[in-house]
Amino acid sequence: MFPSVRQAMAWLHTWFGLVLGFVLMAAFFFGALSVFDREIDRWAIPATRIQAQPMPSYERVLRPAFERMQPTRQAIDAMRPRVDGPMPERYDTVGSWSAYTTHRDPVLQLFAGYVVPNARHAGELVWAEATIDPRDGRLLPDDRLKVGSGFFFPMHYGLTLDWKHLGIWIVGLSALVMLAALASGVVMHRRIFREFFTFRPGRARLRSVLDLHNLTGVVALPFHFFFALTGLLIFAAVYYFPLGHTQLHGLHDLNAQVEASETGLPHERAGRPGGLANVDAMVADAQRRWADDGKAGDVGFLVLQHVGDANGYVSVYRAGTDRIALVGDGIHYKAATGELIREDPAATPVARMAEFLTGLHLQHFRHWLLRWLYVLGGLAGAVCIATGFVFFVEKRKRQHAKDGRQGARVVDALAVAAVTGMVLAALGILVANRLLPEDLPGRADWERWAFWGTWIAALLHAAWRSAPVARALPNPAWREQAIAIGVLALAAVLLNWITTGDHLLRTLATGYWPVAGVDLSLLAVAAIAGASALRLARRHAAHAAGPAYAADAEARHA
Amino acid sequence: MPEHAGAWLLLAALACAQAGMGWLALSLPAHAQQAWGRVPPMATLRLHRVLGWVALACALLLCLGADHATMAVLVWAMAMSGAALAVAFVLSSRPRWLRVLAPWVAGRPAG
Repeated sequence: MFPSVRQAMAWLHTWFGLVLGFVLMAAFFFGALSVFDREIDRWAIPATRIQAQPMPSYERVLRPAFERMQPTRQAIDAMRPRVDGPMPERYDTVGSWSAYTTHRDPVLQLFAGYVVPNARHAGELVWAEATIDPRDGRLLPDDRLKVGSGFFFPMHYGLTLDWKHLGIWIVGLSALVMLAALASGVVMHRRIFREFFTFRPGRARLRSVLDLHNLTGVVALPFHFFFALTGLLIFAAVYYFPLGHTQLHGLHDLNAQVEASETGLPHERAGRPGGLANVDAMVADAQRRWADDGKAGDVGFLVLQHVGDANGYVSVYRAGTDRIALVGDGIHYKAATGELIREDPAATPVARMAEFLTGLHLQHFRHWLLRWLYVLGGLAGAVCIATGFVFFVEKRKRQHAKDGRQGARVVDALAVAAVTGMVLAALGILVANRLLPEDLPGRADWERWAFWGTWIAALLHAAWRSAPVARALPNPAWREQAIAIGVLALAAVLLNWITTGDHLLRTLATGYWPVAGVDLSLLAVAAIAGASALRLARRHAAHAAGPAYAADAEARHA
Repeated sequence: MPEHAGAWLLLAALACAQAGMGWLALSLPAHAQQAWGRVPPMATLRLHRVLGWVALACALLLCLGADHATMAVLVWAMAMSGAALAVAFVLSSRPRWLRVLAPWVAGRPAG
């Protein structure tokens, strides 16, 4: 079919890249945003703008908060089909209480599972969740959309298409294709080392776009490779081995893991009442044991299993802030007496490798430099794909214009929507988050609609303005949407100031980096978008003045 | 280790990675031409290559000094990616800035 391997690779790279590049673009861009998901949450939910806190005292803060919890009406109704007979109004038999935090979380997530009488699957619990201020146990609003961890992060790994995990399969397939695209790209690229540092913006458009595509692809090649690979590994773990599930979806699956592992920890309730010794003492003992092992650390996850039962036990897991590998180092105590039941054994080498690869991608560690470098890697990936689209269009549009074909025009409009449109959509949800009334019913849904609405508007705009591409000219939508990005990014910063009073001078002076960082990043986006719009406007003017002048301007440019 | 000591080590690691990538670029005739307007002798290019690799190795050692080994490897790899990008952009807009890395090469005043 193909005369040479290189041409076969080029075909694969071009067409697979084009079709799934749109998905990869979203995976890279929202992945880069997800690196700072907790910080974006703080920006989006002003009530939670407090400093990150360690796990608070059980006796003083957690117990009263747990005791106040009850499953919501919706949770009870959702459970109803899986129960024989009527369901009670109140739930007092606690299957498990747990609290989860990270070094970047000022708020504490609480989960409570209650035993349901007559549940069809014995042991199935009805769940309640709460978010509290760890300093005093005060209940925080739980119905606000966590724009970072609750929207951008699911966009990153599943496009928020929940139906039958469709989004996760699409993203997984794209990651697989990306590995193929990386390999074929390396084969196609004749001068990887000789042109390692090469970017020639002054050259012809086609050449400079290809330079940027190669540059962002090659210098961050290890990042692209390992993130596609580990992303796939995490999906595999989520779907085939629930063990990995725990870090993504919290409690439900951790519960399954604890039950599934043969640890000697009681799986069932004894049915006899049992007391509860001092939990804070158990936590202190666990921290002492970690310190003795040379890995002193904070508590990330605290679980009380079979609360109030003679079989009850308490598990203390370490927050993995100082190393890449995602490990819990769980230590388990008998609830009634506080005596040690067991310490999780050290992992096997294979498991350690898996922990390292998973942790590399999920980043529970405390390392701000590495986080920013990950953002850089993600954005380099996004630029690589964007320049791939532009190269595809630039290479074909003259020929298509001559033949009267519309292919380049369609791809260009989709590329505008995938590049500038995606940034606009992300800004759209942030602006909507600050503009919508605080007590609007279904506020989270309005925010999501603002996101998708902005994106669709960007696509329609790109399609509407795309006619010049069919005459081998640039699409003005690139420039117009760059201007829109600048305006929306500035608007988001201003709206944050107006609605919360947290302007940059204040957040910087008090050192509240989650909000200051988001604002500064928005300003940087506005500056880059403005500069790009200016550049594109100059080029547009050159094109309008005539092809001869345009060629001259391109030669002089940069 | 106090937190700020780690920060200094990482800053030094970034500087080493940046210098290392810069020297590696200056060991390639095309980029040396961009920086000086002429290609220095072969021996100088070879010196730049050696300096480049040594600086990247130093960056790794500094990263290892700052963090747990598993983390240090990632910081090092990503720092090299970032440094390579930065060198590419310097070469495309202000190639003469790279002269700072090799004051022993006499450049032509007007490139």
